[in-house]
Amino acid sequence: MPRSLLIISRQSPWSGPGAREALDIVLAGGAFDLPIGLLFLDDGVFQLAANQDARALQQKDLSANLQALPMFGVEDLFVCGDSAAERGLDPKALSLEEAQVLTVGEITALIDRYHQVITL
Amino acid sequence: MSTLHVLSHSPFGDDRLTSCLRVIGAEDALLLSGDAAYALQPGTAPFNTLGTRGLKLFVLAEDAQARDLQTPDWAKAIDYPAFVELSIRYDKVNSWL
Amino acid sequence: MKFAIALFSAAHAPSSRRALLFAQAALAGGHEIVRLFFYQDGVHNASGSVVTPQDELDLPRQWRTFVTEHQLDGVVCIAAALRRGVLNEEEAGRYQREAVAVAAPWELSGLGQLHDAVQDADRLICFGGA
Repeated sequence: MPRSLLIISRQSPWSGPGAREALDIVLAGGAFDLPIGLLFLDDGVFQLAANQDARALQQKDLSANLQALPMFGVEDLFVCGDSAAERGLDPKALSLEEAQVLTVGEITALIDRYHQVITL
Repeated sequence: MSTLHVLSHSPFGDDRLTSCLRVIGAEDALLLSGDAAYALQPGTAPFNTLGTRGLKLFVLAEDAQARDLQTPDWAKAIDYPAFVELSIRYDKVNSWL
Repeated sequence: MKFAIALFSAAHAPSSRRALLFAQAALAGGHEIVRLFFYQDGVHNASGSVVTPQDELDLPRQWRTFVTEHQLDGVVCIAAALRRGVLNEEEAGRYQREAVAVAAPWELSGLGQLHDAVQDADRLICFGGA
């Protein structure tokens, strides 16, 4: 059985290539049909804020890639509800509807379930 | 399954330690490396938090030594061979990059 | 024990030195390193263009020596390397750039190599940040 990998994405979409490069690991894993999970934690939840405008910063739109995750076979998507709430985001109004909202305690259990983890 | 969490950022002005302490499990351990070793600066909020938290805590000996930080009796200073062994004793390593 | 070691920080970051010392200790302890994978700013560790002052630790050279001596599989993420201008001869030719920074023992390849290493290893250890 293939080993599972959890990516914990902690960076805002506008802090440099970090968020995109974390997502690239996830997409590559999906392309190889590997069991891969993605958790948005801390500033990473800003990647899921609605109505962002990448053009204002001459950037590519990350949210389009995020929406495509289920199509790439990545269905284990999670978001830390506490991180979102602390940052004034309604966990139920995030742009990635498929993402399960988890409590801090559930995140402990989530990390436990995966074989390996990368926190970026 | 157990996780060895590894921090390397200073706890002052960075939220990785706070975030890590929220999700760290009962079977897990924490290794302080690099500027994360400053969490062992006595009399500070991170020091007091870690001292009362009762978790398995390690610090990379070279980082404590370079920063003139004493290792309190609730932490253990380790070298690289011990770091390797820790990474085996725990089921996975979660480095907060 | 089989380790996959991933490095995410530039050569001048303390975490890059820690990655090397961990890797050396792992081999000295009788363990195996299935692959070193350099991602994000970690690609700079494979650069032959870094000039370190003589009295400072020359990490890119130490990595090169370490990988060569132990005949390790050292993979540099190609997308991260292109973005940061750390090209090998083939990529410099492809994109018509003058500077060639990476050569053997390093190999430029895709993120699939990271996943492949995770599947092959008992432990994935990441170094980066500060």
